[in-house]
Amino acid sequence: MTTSDDVLILCAAGMLVSAYLIVGQKALFTAIRLYGFQSLLLGIVAATIAVSEGRHDLFVTAALTVTLKALLIPWFLMGVIDRIGIHREIEPFLSVPASLLACLGLTVIGYRVSTGFPEGARGVSHHLIGVALSMLLIGLFLMVTRKKAISQILALLTVENAVFLVAVGVTSGMPLIVELGIAFDVILAVLILGILVHRIVDRFESMDVSRLSKLKG
Amino acid sequence: MNLLVWTLGVPLIASAVGLLGGPRKLHEAVMISGLVLTFGLCMATADQFLGGGIPAAFGDALRVDGLSALVLVLGGFVGLLAGAYGVGYLRRNEARCLVTPRMRREFFGLIPAYVFAMLLVSVSNNLGILWIAVELTTLASVFLITFHDRDTSLEAAWKFLMLGSLGLGFALLGTVLLFAAGQGHLGSGMSALHWTRFMEVAPQLHPFTLRLGVVFALVGYGTKAGLAPMHTWKPDAYREAPSPAVVLMAVGMLNGALYCVLRIHLISKAALGPEFSGGLLLTLGLLSVLIAVPFVLIQWNLKRLLAYSSIEHVGIMAVGVGLGAEAGVFGALLHMTYHSLAKPVALFSAGTLAQLHSSSDFDRIGTGTFTRTPVASALFVLAALMMTGSPPFGLFFSEMTILRAGFLGSHVKATSIFLAALIVLFCGFAFQVGRLVLGPPRDPAERRVPLPERFDFGMGTVIAAAIVAGVSAFYLPGPLMALIREATRVVWGGA
Repeated sequence: MTTSDDVLILCAAGMLVSAYLIVGQKALFTAIRLYGFQSLLLGIVAATIAVSEGRHDLFVTAALTVTLKALLIPWFLMGVIDRIGIHREIEPFLSVPASLLACLGLTVIGYRVSTGFPEGARGVSHHLIGVALSMLLIGLFLMVTRKKAISQILALLTVENAVFLVAVGVTSGMPLIVELGIAFDVILAVLILGILVHRIVDRFESMDVSRLSKLKG
Repeated sequence: MNLLVWTLGVPLIASAVGLLGGPRKLHEAVMISGLVLTFGLCMATADQFLGGGIPAAFGDALRVDGLSALVLVLGGFVGLLAGAYGVGYLRRNEARCLVTPRMRREFFGLIPAYVFAMLLVSVSNNLGILWIAVELTTLASVFLITFHDRDTSLEAAWKFLMLGSLGLGFALLGTVLLFAAGQGHLGSGMSALHWTRFMEVAPQLHPFTLRLGVVFALVGYGTKAGLAPMHTWKPDAYREAPSPAVVLMAVGMLNGALYCVLRIHLISKAALGPEFSGGLLLTLGLLSVLIAVPFVLIQWNLKRLLAYSSIEHVGIMAVGVGLGAEAGVFGALLHMTYHSLAKPVALFSAGTLAQLHSSSDFDRIGTGTFTRTPVASALFVLAALMMTGSPPFGLFFSEMTILRAGFLGSHVKATSIFLAALIVLFCGFAFQVGRLVLGPPRDPAERRVPLPERFDFGMGTVIAAAIVAGVSAFYLPGPLMALIREATRVVWGGA
């Protein structure tokens, strides 16, 4: 175990913890901050691998992650919340203790699946995949149990962070130009989602997406 | 400059001009001429391919093989139809003062942008670029779905974007896992994500990682194609989006997403043998055909009806590929071609009916449309015959090819279920269309009077599309047939 491995495991654990905290959180501002923190940790993971393996293109990934996902997207989402003036998640479909228990089960599944991966050059990639798959499942869980539009966006972004953790942790990053394209698409998607939330609130005077249920059959 | 680059550049330029705004005539001229030029360039590219060349650009990141060429030509054709019908559609709405300058800008900007993204999908040889292009089509369609700005269109757009983004998240994870499966073999830099590179090193890919990646990627791109059980966005989006945009989704995106699914399937086939992803495709395809059955029978909306038909057809194509026989693959690609020709007629005639009656809900249109809007109704009946695979139209032949391959192969049970579902779907469709078009007109006092039919630009496009689709049943141009054969060679031989 070298220092860089320690840092990686610490950051991955921190990401998982922040995913749990998002599940347990009803105040939307705090949930967004937690997402920002999670993205910051993802940036640190990328930077650590960049240093320990001398892969300098990963610095770009790290910088991109931190500026876009830890600063810009949270700032934008907070702006959306501020303008529409809705700050709390109403009672989700499943209570918080039950949700946390369910997520515990999902983490076990995530870790179980991760054992099938080959042990990479890095001894810790196993942990990174375990965390990433758990986060992926937790994100999916959040998406189906939350009612507020912003919470669903956060769920989507958690899934996206999980995918990037796999990309960075297992493969040492995708080709740079692809990563730039993906980052561009993600930011565009968040912008469009923000605009949609705005329109939904204007129209329904609520961002409770469980009210969007006219279309059936 | 490179022919392929121009093919993609022209719609992009047209989109930029459209977004800038300006007088209506200029918009129309730019979009139509841009899309005509695009279709011409698509055909030129395919011709270059048939002439023995492999059109490529940006260090093989964009590369045209048989499958790409087929999807590219179909995409260019559908883009042109959507643009031409779109001009007529907007003119009709404009005459009723339903169009704001913002809507016009969105419309003329987003339709060519969608065409660009769609064509980019079909020529991507790089799995990363493929993902980016699919995501671009998703983003371009959001504002087309909210175009009419109704309560329900917001709902449809939200569901579409959520489910679509989730699907794309899965597809991205699948791509990353495929990349991870090839660690140490793929090399580094841009070319490490090239599909051709994957095919070269397929036997060395790590099996477990690959399996997981294939599942995620197939489910992810399957969501975009509208394979059950990830199809739920489709009916909502089809109902809300204006018909020209629906055509881009129902044919362009469907072909594009299926293209992605096939590329992933081919990697999996080369590395793990045909059973794994083939079985997955067969299951998803069969499920899609089956799930369409009840919803067609109870349907209350014309455009949603067509959405379930679209789910059925993508299911048929998936079954054709999943059967694991060369004839099945050929049938699936033939089906894709005929579907691309017939579907626009169905959507345009249904869209015209909906526009003339100011709604696409059955109870607001009222039964017996034939007496009120004879031309659009007749075209719709013709399209319904094509879509349900009635002889002598093309989809009949492609479905028969797939069925024959199925009964001769090892999946007889699945093929029997498939055939039964097709028959019920045919009856359900006949029932719905018959009731709508030929049923007894309701009490004249409560009947809403539709707008008069006029032979304008939109109607002209529908008739032209119907003629093309009708003729195609008896005569497919030689080069198009050659493209289908080349595409079959790619999907079957994996070359």
